[in-house]
Amino acid sequence: MRKLVASTLVAAMTLSVVGCSQSTGSQPASGGDGSSTAPAAQAPAASEGNPKIGVAIYKFDDTFMTGVRNAISKAAEGKAEVDIVDSQNAQPTQNDKVDLFINKKVSALAINPVDRTAAGVIIDKAKQANIPIVFFNREPMPEDMQKWDKVYYVGAKAEESGTISGQLLVDFWNSHPEADKNKDGVMQYVMLKGEPGHQDAELRTKFSVKAIEDAGIKVEKVAEDTAMWDRVKGQEKMAAFLAAAGDKIEAVLANNDDMALGAIEALKAAGYFTNGKYIPVVGVDATAPALKELEAGTLLGTVLNDANSQGRATLNIATALAKGETPSKEMIGFDITDGKYVWVPYKKITKENINDAK
Amino acid sequence: MNAITQKKIQSFVTQNAIYIVLVVLIAGIAIYDTNFLSITTLRDILLQSSTRAIIALGAAFVLITGGTDLSAGRVVGLTAVISASLLQDPNYPRRFFPDLPDLPLLVPILIAIAAGLLVGLINGIIVSRFSVPPFIATLGMMVIVYGVNSIYFDMEPNQSQPIGGLRQDFGQLGTGFIGPSGPYSIPYIVIIAIVVSILVWVVFNKTRLGKNMYAIGGNIQAATVSGINVGLNLIIIYAIAGGLYGLGGVLEAARTGGATNNYGNMYELDAIAACVVGGVSTSGGIGTVPGVLAGVLIFGVINYGLTFIGVNPYWQLIIKGLIIVAAVAFDIRKYLAKK
Repeated sequence: MRKLVASTLVAAMTLSVVGCSQSTGSQPASGGDGSSTAPAAQAPAASEGNPKIGVAIYKFDDTFMTGVRNAISKAAEGKAEVDIVDSQNAQPTQNDKVDLFINKKVSALAINPVDRTAAGVIIDKAKQANIPIVFFNREPMPEDMQKWDKVYYVGAKAEESGTISGQLLVDFWNSHPEADKNKDGVMQYVMLKGEPGHQDAELRTKFSVKAIEDAGIKVEKVAEDTAMWDRVKGQEKMAAFLAAAGDKIEAVLANNDDMALGAIEALKAAGYFTNGKYIPVVGVDATAPALKELEAGTLLGTVLNDANSQGRATLNIATALAKGETPSKEMIGFDITDGKYVWVPYKKITKENINDAK
Repeated sequence: MNAITQKKIQSFVTQNAIYIVLVVLIAGIAIYDTNFLSITTLRDILLQSSTRAIIALGAAFVLITGGTDLSAGRVVGLTAVISASLLQDPNYPRRFFPDLPDLPLLVPILIAIAAGLLVGLINGIIVSRFSVPPFIATLGMMVIVYGVNSIYFDMEPNQSQPIGGLRQDFGQLGTGFIGPSGPYSIPYIVIIAIVVSILVWVVFNKTRLGKNMYAIGGNIQAATVSGINVGLNLIIIYAIAGGLYGLGGVLEAARTGGATNNYGNMYELDAIAACVVGGVSTSGGIGTVPGVLAGVLIFGVINYGLTFIGVNPYWQLIIKGLIIVAAVAFDIRKYLAKK
């Protein structure tokens, strides 16, 4: 009996070791799907000369960041050797990964912070090890950005995405008089917010409403709640809104597409999008599932947070820094503001220009 | 003769399975990439395991009594937020309490630990006085604590913004070290974890509370009959556990230089996993401090080592799960064989 157990354990251990080699071994074949850790440190001979870049994503199962992650892997082909790790939505885990990268002596770091206020400690670590660092998608505090000259940031201006999603509703409202269901000249809307405290959530919420008001349309908030960026929660909250306010709602604003898609599901369940019953829903991100809804006519519009450009800009800056160069527009293909910021613009996506987002 | 040697080896292997797994793991990773074997690696793993060890030791208290504590992670989050909110730099523009004077470092830390202790105390009271099964009692507290923490975190003027700009001296607690700068330095956090481990070892082995804890976990009826005040002991044990999670939360905030209400999410599962892999019995009565520390280190080595050699993160999860199940399946033989 003991022997049996002992051999089971040994088998488990072997399996784990084989597991490692399998997963790494199969990476070239699975390259491009992005779910693998990119061509990691296994083939030093083949990648001689290419700088090694340690990339930490705040959470692997985030749809948008998966897009950025894939863009980074793709942009790195032939240019740099990227090692992409998951911070599991925990800042302490991310700090651990940064220590690990420093131990592995990477030439540059590309960090997507879990918690933007924690960037200061990471910058200190990088500075001490003299490893240049590029933050992306979540902007560190300005005072932290000033700590060192080899700190860069790539991202989009969150308020811009809010403004554009508001404009989508303005366009619709102005061209569709029937959108004002109760004819009171006021847009009754509900808001599905992302994680409370997340910079994007706060700014998108604020600026989307502001854009509508700036266009001279009066608004009334029927309901607002957080759905934590999540599709299932978006559906649940929207169902609750409908139960409470029903036909009073004239527009749905969601801080991201996942929540907008959840809302659309709830609306479908309540009989919308059939027999001419319609309500405009806008999201942000232009994810593939969202584009499908856009084509189907259930989603009015979305805002493309340009994952490809963000990933490419991040990788390009990190590569330049890793080689000891000072990034310039010619080198990375994007404008650099204030010597350390790259702002990737958002794009308005509707059925008409859907191909821009594909 | 031969049979005896074989038996000895077998017995050695079963008794020390946890440590063997640890050595095999390290050897396996080192064979894969020899760069893994370095002082920096050792230091990093110890550093990363320190707060986890403190939290796991707290969980071990409860597990040994035959209970379980799901509130651990959320208590870590609560105390991380409390300590961070009270220890911001006076010049930081977005302070949680804009007019808070500079408190002596120890005061906010003790307040945070006391908050953890209080949660543990309530856990203990619910379990012992209201006879709610520990799993349910602490599940309820887990949700309540997150709610309370989120309300606190959402207060004006903070409104759910991550708390940053922590004081230098607090940050030092998390990132500082003694000795020369570089791989040979010993981080404060590691020293704190060692001190806590020694204290917990003393409680487990040299105090009446420790003996009662094992007795309650071994056979609660027998413990009651032999005159142990089971209720009081459970309350004290849950409170100590809460206090340890509290300390863990404070150190997580200090280490990362910030805190949000999401800190500590799911740490209870890591802590319980480390305990059971380290030989703590989930049915109570069994568990040692070195075992728990070995369990924590196994996960420390897995987390660090597998990332080091570039294993796909999803594979890492599968390997972790396998090790939890295999280690316990193996460990349980040790006690079955005895009976």
